[in-house]
Amino acid sequence: MTGYRALARATARAALTYRFNLLLSLGAVLVQLVALLAVWRVILAQAPVNGFTWPQMRAYLLVAFAAGTVVSILGDFRMAFRILDGDVALDLVKPIDYQKARLAEALGGLWIEVILIGVVVGVTLAVTGGMDTPAGPALALFAASMLLLVPLKFLIVYVSTLACFWTQNFMGVQWARLAVVNLLSGALIPLVYLPHWLATAAQWSPFAGLTSTPALIFLERVDLGEGLTLVAVQLGWVLVLWFGARLVWRAALRRLTVNGG
Amino acid sequence: MRTIRLYPRLLGAHFRSLLEYEADFLILAAATVLMQVVNIVFLSALFAKVPVINGWTFWSVVTMFGAVALAEGVGSLFFDGMWNLAWQINRGELDYYLVRPYPVVLQSSSAAIGINGLSNIVTGGLMIGAGLAHSAIDWTPWRVALGVLLLISSVVIKVSINLGTNAACFWLSSPSPMFAFAMHQVGDLARFPLSIYPIALKAVLGVVLPFAFISFFPIASLLETGTSRWVGLLTPVIAAYCAGLAAFIFRRGLRRYESAGN
Repeated sequence: MTGYRALARATARAALTYRFNLLLSLGAVLVQLVALLAVWRVILAQAPVNGFTWPQMRAYLLVAFAAGTVVSILGDFRMAFRILDGDVALDLVKPIDYQKARLAEALGGLWIEVILIGVVVGVTLAVTGGMDTPAGPALALFAASMLLLVPLKFLIVYVSTLACFWTQNFMGVQWARLAVVNLLSGALIPLVYLPHWLATAAQWSPFAGLTSTPALIFLERVDLGEGLTLVAVQLGWVLVLWFGARLVWRAALRRLTVNGG
Repeated sequence: MRTIRLYPRLLGAHFRSLLEYEADFLILAAATVLMQVVNIVFLSALFAKVPVINGWTFWSVVTMFGAVALAEGVGSLFFDGMWNLAWQINRGELDYYLVRPYPVVLQSSSAAIGINGLSNIVTGGLMIGAGLAHSAIDWTPWRVALGVLLLISSVVIKVSINLGTNAACFWLSSPSPMFAFAMHQVGDLARFPLSIYPIALKAVLGVVLPFAFISFFPIASLLETGTSRWVGLLTPVIAAYCAGLAAFIFRRGLRRYESAGN
């Protein structure tokens, strides 16, 4: 356990050392927040669309921002390069579990991300006006959903990074993942706006749990029963991906060739 | 003349090495196409419910997204090496460039080839083509010439911004192009009509980092959409200004360069 805790602390310390880079790395999610806020403000000024009013859409986008920022100080680039360089061999000889170690690193930076989210949400609300929070039970369910989002997002990134064992290329895999996640999670546009078949597929995919589920619960667009189902789907995917990742990892290790010393 | 002739040959060397990794090329191409498909799905979902945003229709916004993709594509296919500048400075690799009889900036920009640029050029071109085909403008020879001039200028602006922001690494001394990348992302804001943003952002995108001249202003001029149609005619001027400024920043930066000392 101490080993994992040390890794978690190391991530946080590294993130704080390169503060400037940390802020810049938030850029993509922040730019998307600003652009979408501006687009929807103009559109919804006239009339609600698909039942979304401007304050609701703003809350939706803020939840999407929070969901997009959590678990982003992730060593996925480092992990990818270690796999591609063969340095991963050094990780293999360490007496800790590889998957848990990466999870510990992801959790290490969490508190920094929460502070950054607090600042951005605070500033946005200060500039554009207050926001309604849901009633007690829905709020609790929202919190549960946000908590599940952390391992879920980690696992999706982790599994896609394991693809480096096969592809020798990380950028392409990462771009493809970002594009798919952005659309199917509802981060780019709420799923109800998508064609029905696509929305349904996205709803049951692991990606919906990355934005849509917590956001819909927060806005109380789903009742408690539906909300519980959505959170259960999130939990189910966390379990499937956690054990699925182990299988992928086993197959990946058989592929691994490290040259030289 | 020799400078121009050598450039494709420098890139060609990287291209040949790239061909060794066929799967890489396919993955990158597929990923960039996927990103544009997601953009189109997003826009069509958005415009399915609201036909017009501040005078901009689905097809005119697709044209803007296409212009950005085209400019980025040219930037990565022909000038991807710029993104390595931070690393080259940090490692002292510019030493080699400085002693060769070829402009340092071109050696740096040809130091890599982003094959994803190719798919971005193709998809961007298709988006622009589809957008223009759905617009109701009369194609006179003069308008075609204007369109070509505006698109070339928009590409020049994008490449110049890449160079200028990457050259900032001479001062930032970070081994990664994080600053330039963050600025590149700010440019994503300019894929939407500028009129939706608050005044401060308009100033940033129109004046400080003229991303709006890559897509919004030239497309507004060409399609005669929106309220500020004439501003787009300034695009070639802005392009010349950006190129000059980027070259100036690079030259000043190069004077600060002091190797890595090994």
